[in-house]
Amino acid sequence: MVDPALSRLLDKRFVAVTGKGGTGKTTLTAALALLAAQRGKRVLVCMSQARERMSATLETEFVGSEVKTILGSIDAVNMDPETCLEEYGLMVLKVRALYKAVMDNRVVKGFIRAVPGMDAWSMLGKALFHVKEQENGRNKYDLVLLDAPATGHGVQMLRVPLVIQKIAPPGLLRREAEDGIALMRDPSKCAVVVCTLPEEMPASETEELIATLRDELKLTVGGLFVNQVLSPLFAGKFDQALLASHALSEIPAFEPLATVTRARAIREEVQRNILERFAKLNAPRVYIPALPVERIRRPHAQALAKVLADGGV
Amino acid sequence: MANSSLSDLLTSHRVIVTVGSGGVGKTTTAAAIALAGARAGRRVLCLTIDPAKRLATSLGLGSMSHEAQKIDSAVLGLAPDSKGSLTAMMLDVRRTFDELVTRYAQTPEARDRILSNSIYQQIASSLAGTPEYMAMEKLYALKDDPQYDLIVLDTPPTSNALDFLEAPDKMVAAMDSPTIRAFVSAFEKGGSMSLKLLSKAMAQVLQGLSKFTGAGFLEQIAGFLTDLQSMFGGFKERALKVREQLKSKSVAFVIVSSPEPMAVTESLFFAEKLVEGGMHLEAVVFNRVRRVDPVDVSSPQRIANILREADIEQPVELAAGILKAYHDASVWSRRDAGEIVRARRELPLVPRFIEVPAFDEDVYDLRALTRVANYVAPA
Repeated sequence: MVDPALSRLLDKRFVAVTGKGGTGKTTLTAALALLAAQRGKRVLVCMSQARERMSATLETEFVGSEVKTILGSIDAVNMDPETCLEEYGLMVLKVRALYKAVMDNRVVKGFIRAVPGMDAWSMLGKALFHVKEQENGRNKYDLVLLDAPATGHGVQMLRVPLVIQKIAPPGLLRREAEDGIALMRDPSKCAVVVCTLPEEMPASETEELIATLRDELKLTVGGLFVNQVLSPLFAGKFDQALLASHALSEIPAFEPLATVTRARAIREEVQRNILERFAKLNAPRVYIPALPVERIRRPHAQALAKVLADGGV
Repeated sequence: MANSSLSDLLTSHRVIVTVGSGGVGKTTTAAAIALAGARAGRRVLCLTIDPAKRLATSLGLGSMSHEAQKIDSAVLGLAPDSKGSLTAMMLDVRRTFDELVTRYAQTPEARDRILSNSIYQQIASSLAGTPEYMAMEKLYALKDDPQYDLIVLDTPPTSNALDFLEAPDKMVAAMDSPTIRAFVSAFEKGGSMSLKLLSKAMAQVLQGLSKFTGAGFLEQIAGFLTDLQSMFGGFKERALKVREQLKSKSVAFVIVSSPEPMAVTESLFFAEKLVEGGMHLEAVVFNRVRRVDPVDVSSPQRIANILREADIEQPVELAAGILKAYHDASVWSRRDAGEIVRARRELPLVPRFIEVPAFDEDVYDLRALTRVANYVAPA
């Protein structure tokens, strides 16, 4: 089942993680970062969250709007639009005097922030800037991981350069956007990975998301990570499990066993159907077993990194 | 002791707003509350952003239209003499924005300029805060509609549940700040950028900026903002009004959560913000709660024997699977229970806590929705 394409995922320069809310994006991003770092890569994790959860997951210092090293060769930053816009302005306007004149002007700053999509573009632009960032004559980071917003907002963010390309006249802004598009569409350098669950609603959302990423945004789906996959206890024994549930329900003391058996058998059957649907999406897949844990901590992220490695990443 | 039903809310309130982070079953819960309201004899409007297609289909909403659609009482299983009804409406962000422009643009020319503006066309539905703002607009337009007794508003999915309350303000503030007005007026004077009217420093800045954006883009944006701004008086006023009305006693906020630790933590944070903002947090609904009662499983042999007596194949293997399933379920059950205890302890003032159990199958048809409704407000 291991897909050879997965083995090249962490060799890319830019990987964006998205998917339905509550499917484990942050934990997956943390595990991918750990795995890449174990392989000697210098990694930058870019988050776009109001409330940063990476530090809790990896048990590190709080991650703010400045890039900082959190663990070994892993750096992280929580991008807030305002800071990003300033940094982005400096990156593209290059000349500090001009930048100061532009960005220190309240009117202009307010205006730029009001331009639709600018917030998202400044964040994506910052992440892409770090992909190209040089230090001592080489790339500062081997891999930039973007913990993108959930489905709708995530697609919006990835779509922004296309919108700029469409509506901005020729100039630096449009060139920046076009460079971004070229990088994001280069399958050797960039991939989007999607996090999901083996349940009906996340599954249909995932199918739509993958179609949008591929058909409209023309991006490579580098991996479909299915979280909370149950190990099949009743594989090929669905009918027997239901019969067993029925037999156990006749004995009052075993009633809860009957309920649990029936629920598990049905859940496994739903999962089997959905995993078949996922298989048709032709994206490299990794199944991540369900782990009942109170809080995701570093050991869990490390365990997940191992699951990913065993799954072919 | 907190109540474990929403029944009283269905008749005592005019608006119920469901909020919560993504992936917790918010839309389903809103639909279940709406269904429970209809069963309680209320004429309910359920306003949702993006219902799962199969759920919509099962309600007879095959066309997924954003027009108000009354759902067949027979489909809902309402008694023929019931006063209750359920109307569903899907919020179409782009269309709502278009309607606003059409209604509030000061001249037909301004209206046409906005609607045909390429920037507007690209961003009308994706501008940050727009879905949230449009949900509020829709609520404002419908809240006094005499056709309905109860409006259930499902808020847009956001990674941060607070966005719903803050995004409309942000959108309005961003577009209507004094700085924007000053900037826009610089363009308005001559119809295009008239640098002469600006201070020298400002003119330099704008020239620098237009090197970045390309020729004419700033003018285009300013023109767009100018047209939009002509309507902002109304935007701002309504956003403020809706904001005030959300604090009214007739508006109940319901937090929807799952028992996942992260979702619970988000919900606690959101509860704090709602209360800080002066809203009435009336209930927390936990979806998909796994619960298993204890069983004596000390003798796998006994279970295998029961299966053997029922003539079920491979009784020993099956019994082992059943015990493993029980073990897994018990672990989940303890964890979910622990998280709910934590939430209840942290939120002593919330008057209602509802636990909806995890069902065998995902909820996307009317039968399953009815089961959820039964937990939300027992018939």
